[in-house]
Amino acid sequence: MSERVVAAAEEGQVVELRRSGRRPRAVANGVRAAAILVALVVLAVFPLVFSNPAVTTIAFFTLVFMTSTTAWNGFAGYSGYIPLGHAVFFGTGAYTLAIVAQDLHMPGGYGVFWLVPLAGAAALVVAIPFGLIALRTRRHTFVVITIAIFFIFQLLSFNLGITQGSSGIQTPTPPWFGGAFNIPFYYVGAVILVLSIAVSWFIRRSRFGLQTLAIRDDEDRARGLGVQVGRVKLVGYVISAIPVGMVGALYAYFIGQIFPQSAFDPLFDITIALMAFLGGLGTVSGPLLGALVLEPLQQYFTVSDPSYYLIAYGALFLIVILALPRGVVPTVGAWIGNRRARRAAPSPAAAGEASGGAPGGTRYAATVRSGE
Amino acid sequence: MASSILKAVIDGVLTGGVYALMAAGLTLIFGVMDIINIAQGVLVVLAAYLSYVLSTQLGIDLFVGLLITVPTLFVVGVVVEWAFIRRLAGRERTAMSILVTYAVAIIIEGLLIRQFSTDYVQLNAWYVDRSFRLLGLYLPYIYVFGFALAAALLAALYMVLYRTRFGRSVRAAMQDRSAARLVGVNVERVATLTFGLGVAVTAAGGMVFGATNAFNPNSGYDLISRLLTIVILGGMGSIGGALGAAVFMLTLEDVVSVVWSPTWSTLVFFAALVIVLSVKPTGLFGRAAARAQ
Amino acid sequence: MGSRRVARMMGLLAAVGLLAAACSNASGGNSSSTSGSSSSSKQPIVIGASLSLSGDFSADGQAFQRGYQLWADYVNSHGGLLGRPVKLDIVSDASSPTQVVTNYQQLITVDHVNLLFGPFSTLLTVPSAKVAARYGYAMVEGAGGAPAVFQLKLPNVFDVSLPVADDLVPFAQWIASLPASQRPKTAAYPTSNDPFTEPQLPVAEKILQAAGVRTVYFKVFPAEVTDYTPIADQVASSGAQIVLLGSVDVPTVSAFIQAFAQQHYNPKAFIATAGPDQGASFVKAVGASNTEGVMVPNGWFPGYPNAQSQAMVQAYIQKWGGTPSDVNADVAEGYSVGQVLAQAVEATHSLDQSKIIAYLHSGVVLQSVQGAVQFDSLGENGKAAAFAFQWQHGNLVQVLPVGAPGSKAAEYPKPAWGG
Repeated sequence: MSERVVAAAEEGQVVELRRSGRRPRAVANGVRAAAILVALVVLAVFPLVFSNPAVTTIAFFTLVFMTSTTAWNGFAGYSGYIPLGHAVFFGTGAYTLAIVAQDLHMPGGYGVFWLVPLAGAAALVVAIPFGLIALRTRRHTFVVITIAIFFIFQLLSFNLGITQGSSGIQTPTPPWFGGAFNIPFYYVGAVILVLSIAVSWFIRRSRFGLQTLAIRDDEDRARGLGVQVGRVKLVGYVISAIPVGMVGALYAYFIGQIFPQSAFDPLFDITIALMAFLGGLGTVSGPLLGALVLEPLQQYFTVSDPSYYLIAYGALFLIVILALPRGVVPTVGAWIGNRRARRAAPSPAAAGEASGGAPGGTRYAATVRSGE
Repeated sequence: MASSILKAVIDGVLTGGVYALMAAGLTLIFGVMDIINIAQGVLVVLAAYLSYVLSTQLGIDLFVGLLITVPTLFVVGVVVEWAFIRRLAGRERTAMSILVTYAVAIIIEGLLIRQFSTDYVQLNAWYVDRSFRLLGLYLPYIYVFGFALAAALLAALYMVLYRTRFGRSVRAAMQDRSAARLVGVNVERVATLTFGLGVAVTAAGGMVFGATNAFNPNSGYDLISRLLTIVILGGMGSIGGALGAAVFMLTLEDVVSVVWSPTWSTLVFFAALVIVLSVKPTGLFGRAAARAQ
Repeated sequence: MGSRRVARMMGLLAAVGLLAAACSNASGGNSSSTSGSSSSSKQPIVIGASLSLSGDFSADGQAFQRGYQLWADYVNSHGGLLGRPVKLDIVSDASSPTQVVTNYQQLITVDHVNLLFGPFSTLLTVPSAKVAARYGYAMVEGAGGAPAVFQLKLPNVFDVSLPVADDLVPFAQWIASLPASQRPKTAAYPTSNDPFTEPQLPVAEKILQAAGVRTVYFKVFPAEVTDYTPIADQVASSGAQIVLLGSVDVPTVSAFIQAFAQQHYNPKAFIATAGPDQGASFVKAVGASNTEGVMVPNGWFPGYPNAQSQAMVQAYIQKWGGTPSDVNADVAEGYSVGQVLAQAVEATHSLDQSKIIAYLHSGVVLQSVQGAVQFDSLGENGKAAAFAFQWQHGNLVQVLPVGAPGSKAAEYPKPAWGG
């Protein structure tokens, strides 16, 4: 597991460095390509090396959260809107798989995985009206309205006939036994994760991504500059919903049963937000790192000492948030960038500019807060 | 049926008062500091436990005990603000505040579990189970007392905000932080005191909550989403708005529960927020976007 | 920002990550020593279980843990199982299905436990039973009795307790059997939106309606309610003569009782599906004077006239203090799980899971502190006794079925609140 942490951290550094433009582009590209290759290989061989099902189970849940956090960050990190209702898409995906598999009397097996893209589509369909309503508001109001819509969905799943109330719905039982059981789930999860990262990376570098970042910096000015603010926000929001719906479906199939509290879990959003912030909101690698560290840690804390885990978990967060307010990846990136810059170019102004995040004088902070 | 509905309206108004008390602190913190205090729900529970200890260990009446719990929670609020919230800066301050206060919330929850376990307890006093008859209806003392307490405290809070020098600074900070600083307001100090005040008011809400519900350290989570809904609906920073929204929401919920079903009434609670915001994005009583970006 | 501080933080974070990885590896390493081949005689038999020691169900989880523990103490002081001591390996799941799946995987494949005990609640039983099934383990449990569990038709699930759907049957039959002059005319059925409560009320309603008891209120309330007053007030104003409350915990029952008392509404009979069986914590929440006459259905109670049960209650008091009425029914359910599994192990004289499963499905009648246990093809206990209990003068006493050994006369109509 530690190799992956290192790999992800390296990847993060490289991304930051590339942005800083301190290195010749070709070299940076080469290093980045190598890092990505290493990460992919680690991802691919992980369950073969660590084949114990207890480990692959945690690895699977970690993939679910890495995907969800990446997708969430693809909207929240780039647009500055903080939605706390993505559990709606997780639950929608989960129920889509459970209901369709039940209605079609699908036997357990590989065939059920074909419902995963369908679940993503269902999340998309739900995300459009959700986004249209919620994105009319901003900031705190947006946060709270997403929470409210989340509760509406949870209560609907309790009350509507189609979701079969509090008992929930069983998903098909796959005919895989022992340690072999986790493997198909792991690889389907890994594929969804890689696709989500690719989308996130692509958004970050696209014209669409730039428009989203412009909204984050100053929505009214972006509108003035001709960005179709409403459409950009909605598209970003909907894109972020799809992978979450897909892993929701995968989760339901893996667990074997879905019921309202586990499909629409209020802690889901706070968890993925914590992961994204811890790693670094708005970076590609930060949320991955956050999920990679936090999900196993959380499972470990829960088992080991139930009476202290809340206190330890909360204290750890406070320390990390206060020590690294921008998240691990940007802070470390800035630190390395600064050191390199200091060594290369003695001008402090250039160093601050280059790292994109000199202490206390972030590019974004300068533009946003100056208005107040 | 008519009397059931009348009863539901009265229940809604009375519980609305208690919710307003819990939401008032939240809206104040929202308005002045521009942060979301997720820990508010757990602080309600913390206050309820303090009242529990005072009444069971020392035999102090619940309402008299407020003389101790309110200042205690004020100190808790000041410490939390000084230690954690103040250190947040930069563009993600609002979002960071959610995480920091969540971390504070789970630490407090963990400490409460260590101290009190997860067994449910409830506050007790002679007026908790009793009621009196008025116009053919039984009105529980605790709800009536709670409403009176809410009205008194909210009025006091209103006086502080609109009749004192400190209140002027608070309102100035609410409208425009930098301008307030320019005219000599110590914005940091105002923020700390406001946070303390916001948490202190919660102590009273927590006591009434604990006397009307059995609670354990986890109980705060069911509350926070409802309180946030009320605050947004009432308009951030508006004490009167919080009272109006709380009474409106609780009455609506209770009436729906009676004429239709309790399961749907909770849904209506959240749906009301969505509908109102779709029509009027600033909330029921909100000013035109107090602080647009 | 000091770069040294950042470096320290990174170091800390990396250390934590490594630690977590190392720990999972370390426990993997240990496991080979505990599992081994079962031939060596004095090695303990390890029994794994995941319980909700924090989170929503923690009160029940902790009571279950005590039941498991008491059983293990008993076995170890009476020569062990197959001549070997038993050792419990209990981990916490915080009531989360994600965690419960991880935990049972860990117990089976890392800790290599010999036997499994079930988790707490229906919602966690299904995912964990599916994990156990993958490895051919028998999942004997005492708290997953809702229809949702048996619908799975898993071959390895055995619930030693009373199937929950039938919980209220003795109460409903008793009301229906009352002479017409005493029989209530109307009934109210408020219920929580929960797989434990929802199946129970329609069964009781059917029996009562056949006996001419009219339904004046039947509404479902959400699983998480922050204010029960309007719901309870409406039940009160319906004027129903008896109330059957579908509750999962103490706060629900105490909120209803408080509101009923405030409204001066006193039904002739009041039964709640869970809450009044929680001993001291129920009394603490509602106040001793309000408990009088409140009823609860269950498969067990501390005064249950069964020698093993009495011994267990004594052992409980010796270990944790208190009085018999402090002993939660969950304790007996946990204890029964151990007893049933132990009988299967002794009878088959092996730890072979397939033999154990075949034996439990064979229709044999087993004994537990909750009475006789016999499993049907779905793993439901067809022999489970169903009782109703009533709080009388500060004690929970058995009142139904009428005429059953140990049953006392029920207080009917129940006295006024605070009386």
